[in-house]
Amino acid sequence: MTRFTRAMIVLRAFWQLNWLEELQYRGNFVASLLGTIFWLVMAMLTVSLFFRHTPQLGGWGYWDVVVLLGIFNALAGVVETVLRPGIGHLPTDVRSGALDLVLVRPVDAQFYVSFRRLDVWRLADVMLGLAVSGYAFVQTGRAISAWELLAFAVTFAVAIAVVYAIWVTLMSLAFWFVAVENMAALFDAVFEAARYPVSAYPGALRFLFVYLIPIAWTTTIPASALTGRLNPALATWAAAVGVAALGASRVLWRVALKRYTSAGG
Amino acid sequence: MSPASSRTPFATFRDQYAELMRSAFLVDLQYRASIAIWLIWGVTEPIISLGIWWSIAAGGAVDGYTREDFARYFFGVALVNQATLSWDAWNIDRWIREGEMNHRLTRPIAPIHEAIADNVAYKTPTATIILTMWIIASLFWPAVRIPFEPGRWSLAIIAIVLAAAIRFLNGYATGLLAFWTTRATALVELQFGLSLFLSGRIAPLSLLPPRVAHVAEYLWFPYVLSFPVEILTGAVTTSEQYLRGFAGQAIWLAIWLALYLVVWTRGRRHYGAVGG
Repeated sequence: MTRFTRAMIVLRAFWQLNWLEELQYRGNFVASLLGTIFWLVMAMLTVSLFFRHTPQLGGWGYWDVVVLLGIFNALAGVVETVLRPGIGHLPTDVRSGALDLVLVRPVDAQFYVSFRRLDVWRLADVMLGLAVSGYAFVQTGRAISAWELLAFAVTFAVAIAVVYAIWVTLMSLAFWFVAVENMAALFDAVFEAARYPVSAYPGALRFLFVYLIPIAWTTTIPASALTGRLNPALATWAAAVGVAALGASRVLWRVALKRYTSAGG
Repeated sequence: MSPASSRTPFATFRDQYAELMRSAFLVDLQYRASIAIWLIWGVTEPIISLGIWWSIAAGGAVDGYTREDFARYFFGVALVNQATLSWDAWNIDRWIREGEMNHRLTRPIAPIHEAIADNVAYKTPTATIILTMWIIASLFWPAVRIPFEPGRWSLAIIAIVLAAAIRFLNGYATGLLAFWTTRATALVELQFGLSLFLSGRIAPLSLLPPRVAHVAEYLWFPYVLSFPVEILTGAVTTSEQYLRGFAGQAIWLAIWLALYLVVWTRGRRHYGAVGG
């Protein structure tokens, strides 16, 4: 059995267990769905408010921005489904020493920590986000080519990789700053900026979002694929950024783990 | 007789408050890195909004708002929001869910005073940090300078304190609904979402569709953020505007205080019934 198939079997077992657990809290599904719809409506009203006073946002029309907003919501859904309940729990594990129990298991620790939980109800956020994007795309009146659809799939995967890498980076800081329990708030704060195309920001902020905190790659690029703004060069760059982000997060994880001395150590 | 009984109730209360405040401040000091993160979290929203409006206003003023007006407005939002934000509903939710309310009920002082002490101990230093950053920014960036008018600034401070009190009582009273429901924090989030527009967090109220701005006038939302911010930026000028603003604040403070008292008295009884 290869390491990969073994990992997949473990993953399946986890998620099955999760699924059974979550089935007991069906009320949560309705509540979280209503919450998501509410925030989506608020976000669309915000965009409408901007468009009361301008015909375009950084060169993007109303429906183009809504396409982007849907992608933002889908990515936020990925965060809520997998990242926050999984790797988002890392600082607590480090502080309490519960990470010991992870490290002795015969699976890769980063893999286990990252994908141990699946808040299935929040998958609805992903669906809802993609549905909004789809609807807005139809409203733009564009036709989509097979190449653009492929480019969207690739850049959306890159976006997930970048968001994942940001989470690994932030959460790994817990190995150095044990007392900081709200690292996730830092992500929430900065990710808010990904609601709008990066070209809608003044130069200094744009530089920050493209190079320093690379959230520009998470929503603007996939939305560019759907709105005809993506050229092959940029798509290649995006793929490279995704691979680099994953690689960097792996290296950081290894370095960080070396600092772990268990609770009280 | 014990020495305590010879003291006036007020002196006892004052000492209790001083102690609550001291311990809240010491706890905050322990978590200063976390507080730094919450500060960043708090200022990103106004910065993002400012970034977008700054770009929109590139071609000229938007309904009378120039780029500089937006800059001053959102610096004001960052400051006033930090001084008035309310997270108490999440604490109450935890107190009730995890039984931490029980020992609080046995104390001689109502839990709301602990929350008030927490708020003062947290907001005074953090709002001061934002104010300091504003002052430093204004040295380099003329757009965010506001004219030196001590009278106006004093009125702004009063308005900010009243706004903090209303928003606190609003959040606290809503949070106390946790005595009956497990979704009290969802109601707080709902109000937080609406305040995006109705309080002027995303844009000055005058840029909203007139009907929405009109609805906002009948609610407490504008008085907890927009009004103090607009005193600071100079948008509030006539004595009629001041009068309407402060009257609105006084009315909503009274309403939320009354609602708190009702929910607290009934909720406590309800809670006793559950545990009894």
